[in-house]
Amino acid sequence: MAYLKLENLTKIFGKNGLAVDNFNLEIEKEEFVCFLGPSGCGKSTTLRMIAGLESVTSGEILLDGVSIIKDEPKDRHISMIFQSYAVWPHMSVYENVAYALRLRKMSKAEIDATVKEAASITQITEYLNRYPNKLSGGQRQRVAVARAIAIKPKLFLMDEPLSNLDAKLRVAMRTDLKRIHQDLHTTSIFVTHDQSEALSLADRIVVMNKGVIEQVGTPNEIYHDSETMFVAKFIGSPPSNFFKVLVSKSDNNVTVKHPAFAYIVKGPIADTLSKKYLNKEVILSVRPENFVVDPNGIIEVKCLIVEPQGSHLVINVNIGNEEAKVVTNILDIKTKDTIKLNFNQNIAFFDAETEHRIR
Amino acid sequence: MNKHIRKVLFYLLIVLISSIVIIPMTYLVNISFSSQLEVNDFPKPLLPHLGHDIKVEWDEGHSWYVVSRKSFSGEYKELNYLSDFDRVETYFRTYLNVVRTSEQYEADFLVARETGVPVFVHYNKTIFINYTKFFSIFDGAGQALVNSITAALLTIVLSMSIGGCVGYALARTSIKGKNAIGLGVLIVRMFPAISIAVPMAVLLIRFGMYDSMLGLAVIYSIPNIGLTAWITKSIFLSVDKEYEEASLVFGATKAQTFRKITLPLVFPAFAASSMFAFITAWNDTAISLLLTNENQTLALLLYKNMGGSASLHYATSGAIMLIIPALIFTFLTKDYINRMWG
Repeated sequence: MAYLKLENLTKIFGKNGLAVDNFNLEIEKEEFVCFLGPSGCGKSTTLRMIAGLESVTSGEILLDGVSIIKDEPKDRHISMIFQSYAVWPHMSVYENVAYALRLRKMSKAEIDATVKEAASITQITEYLNRYPNKLSGGQRQRVAVARAIAIKPKLFLMDEPLSNLDAKLRVAMRTDLKRIHQDLHTTSIFVTHDQSEALSLADRIVVMNKGVIEQVGTPNEIYHDSETMFVAKFIGSPPSNFFKVLVSKSDNNVTVKHPAFAYIVKGPIADTLSKKYLNKEVILSVRPENFVVDPNGIIEVKCLIVEPQGSHLVINVNIGNEEAKVVTNILDIKTKDTIKLNFNQNIAFFDAETEHRIR
Repeated sequence: MNKHIRKVLFYLLIVLISSIVIIPMTYLVNISFSSQLEVNDFPKPLLPHLGHDIKVEWDEGHSWYVVSRKSFSGEYKELNYLSDFDRVETYFRTYLNVVRTSEQYEADFLVARETGVPVFVHYNKTIFINYTKFFSIFDGAGQALVNSITAALLTIVLSMSIGGCVGYALARTSIKGKNAIGLGVLIVRMFPAISIAVPMAVLLIRFGMYDSMLGLAVIYSIPNIGLTAWITKSIFLSVDKEYEEASLVFGATKAQTFRKITLPLVFPAFAASSMFAFITAWNDTAISLLLTNENQTLALLLYKNMGGSASLHYATSGAIMLIIPALIFTFLTKDYINRMWG
């Protein structure tokens, strides 16, 4: 049985309407789950409903088999890291970490031991007697983490905890969070709009859009096997390229045709396309790295802008009238070169109307 | 070079500014500790004298004692010719602030008479005699002090409670016309209180609050409510909701959260604005002159009596007493003000 179960969770704000719509998710114990989506997609609202900071319009939240919907936040035994860290400025670091422990009526010695343990895990032992205004953003973040792990929560919620840090620190902190999770095995939910955070941290990612789950899956599934066009568009940097193509069939070959190219589809997907979508338009999704620079390629393009990224190049090209981005590790391509492109096997097709994956 | 000149000029300016404050203050403190004889001494010593060097000689011809006092320049100047020790006692007490019994004087003075050699004695002043006398000389000074404190405290309570609520509402709610309300409370502050004092007096009479400290506090609160609202609004805005939410998540009830998180975080704003409220109420004379009759405040009492030059040293000790609570209050709140704007 799932450790945390969200059933038909719905949140409607007074006038602003639907924030979360029929959210269903099961999270296993010790799992690290990321809610990923653009701002306003309902990911934070879902998290806040789990924490009890937001009332639930309808649906059910079961933690360890028990409904916690009616519990006050304090009774849920959940800890949370906030976007602003919410490290209380009028208390020393020690007091910040000890706050929750004191409220739990632990003995002084116990509190002291717990605070010190949490501090050593998060490497803030030397700052324990300082006040938060004397700490940098990264150190404050560590205090917030220490405070959250000190209570040994049933569930560890993080609401965009890294978005206020600078880029370098964000990557370092990300690694630390993952290490802490591997050490403590606390079931964690991490909300972010940053796909690289989600991809690097999560066991499973929940991609949300407009209050609805678009896809739930491992980082690899989300990236390489996107369920909807939204996911393909949202994940990946640069994101996937989309082409409207017409499915046609001749001589047992299923071909998708675009003004700039015609591509013969192979594999099981060819059957599906010819059965259901013959002479219809579908969307072809090609991730930038799914282009292959090939002298025998089917598309001839001119390189408009070449952006070297060290290990690879990002090339902006026009295919037909559409802009596309190509990633290649052939590093000697220059602006205004003409190259030929082909697709590899990882391309995907989406229904033009439902925007769902055609399999 | 240029930098040095600028530095010197800067320090000169600092010295100038501080002397503008310090010189009148030392003058005031000096006078408040002066005896009647010393009031008109000029220049004043940097620190007030705590006693007098007295020379006593026996004048056989007149059969009286010649009493002289060492002046600022170091010479002994004759003060009086006395023979009766009760009169000696009165004279020393009234003119020199020295309180001793006539027997004590007798013991000292007799030595001069018996030996025929001048006797030099040092008599310590009773330092706070002016302060105690202030209350006995000025009618109702004690009551005025109590009144001042009452009015100030009521002003703080009124402007904190109302202004704090307005500030919270301006910061945390989305009521319509929020900005207009904010501007409105500020405009109220803009009015010189004296220009609306007459209608205020009429209103207070109607409400039966004329000549009462509550009435005064209401008037003092009017400008301060606006100020408090703005100060507390800024702090309620700066106190992130996530601080409170974190407290709720980590096991506190709403009441505990308010007590342990919200209150300490907004306290500096309340301390700072309470200082403004206190100072408004404490320093005012104009409004209390118009709106009170018998129940005057200490500042008003001093204002009315400062002119009488005969009692200048008593009035100044009253003035010092008026300053001290304001100073204490400011020092109590300075840390919070620093936290607010420092």
